[in-house]
Amino acid sequence: MTEIKDLAQIIAGCKNGDAECFSQVVDMYASRCYGYFYRLTGNKDVSDDLLGELFVKLAEKISSYKGRSFEGWLFKIASNIFHDYLRRKQRWTRLLQVRKRHVRTETTELGQLDSERIDRLQVELGNLDKDTRELIMLRFYSQLSFKELAKMRSEPIGTTLSKLHRGLRKLRELMEG
Amino acid sequence: MNGHNEQNLKELFGKFLSNEQADKAVGDVQRAEQILREYPAPEPDAELIFDIKSRITTKVLHRRADVFTEIVYRATIVAAALMILTAIGLKLFDRGPTGTAEYASIIPNVLWESNDITADDMDLLILTAEIEQIEEQARTLLLGENGGNGERDMMELEIELVAIEVGFWKE
Repeated sequence: MTEIKDLAQIIAGCKNGDAECFSQVVDMYASRCYGYFYRLTGNKDVSDDLLGELFVKLAEKISSYKGRSFEGWLFKIASNIFHDYLRRKQRWTRLLQVRKRHVRTETTELGQLDSERIDRLQVELGNLDKDTRELIMLRFYSQLSFKELAKMRSEPIGTTLSKLHRGLRKLRELMEG
Repeated sequence: MNGHNEQNLKELFGKFLSNEQADKAVGDVQRAEQILREYPAPEPDAELIFDIKSRITTKVLHRRADVFTEIVYRATIVAAALMILTAIGLKLFDRGPTGTAEYASIIPNVLWESNDITADDMDLLILTAEIEQIEEQARTLLLGENGGNGERDMMELEIELVAIEVGFWKE
């Protein structure tokens, strides 16, 4: 309860333009958001850019936060930023294709991953479909409830539960196989 | 990542699956999330965090400056609008005293203000002199100082006085 109150006070400070409060929000959520971006892109440089974009966007939009689940609100922005990144990447890929260059586009293909940092989990995540991969990462890093996840994704909770279960089961099989 | 919200996964799965299937599903989820915890993602660099905080601070300061500028701008507009409205109001409603009319006198103010009317008008001066002269002659006649025919002289004086009066008003 104290933590919730503290977070509410910090957010109130952010709304008042207190840079120190923004700094505290960064300290509290940077690690989780970075993990979310990294596991989806497999690229540290891209994750750096997306994390910066996320917190700048947060500073711009904090006045629109209405006091519901802060994690839900923050990770909704993170998800939008990730999808914007995918769209930009697709446009860039099409542009390159027009120039007759061969570029591999999958976000989790090894060619675009940080070869030094890549771990087995990152490889196996690449074997899941994009939507399931994103759902698993959203659940893990945002720590949102299934109800909140379903609401964020605008789908019935049974659908979210089923997709997540199938995805996690497959990931488990891949990792233990 | 141990802080997942406290929700009863089995109860949740139980709404859609049989009891046995729900137990298995909960086991799948818990084991998979354990694997995720065993493979932590890299942490953001300290330089990156510092850079992000700097960018946010700059943005916040710019926004404050923008808000201040906007306040000043709006206050200026409001003040200007008030000044214009005040000026229009004064023009519309301040038309001076009503119900009285002023007329310009055809007689110069100096004449009204003067205590010596004869000095202000040459005709009046001449008339006054003539009247004084006739009064002097009348007094002489009345006192019998000139020794002549008093009654006829008085009549001539009266005629002369009438002539002077008529001549004065004709001019």
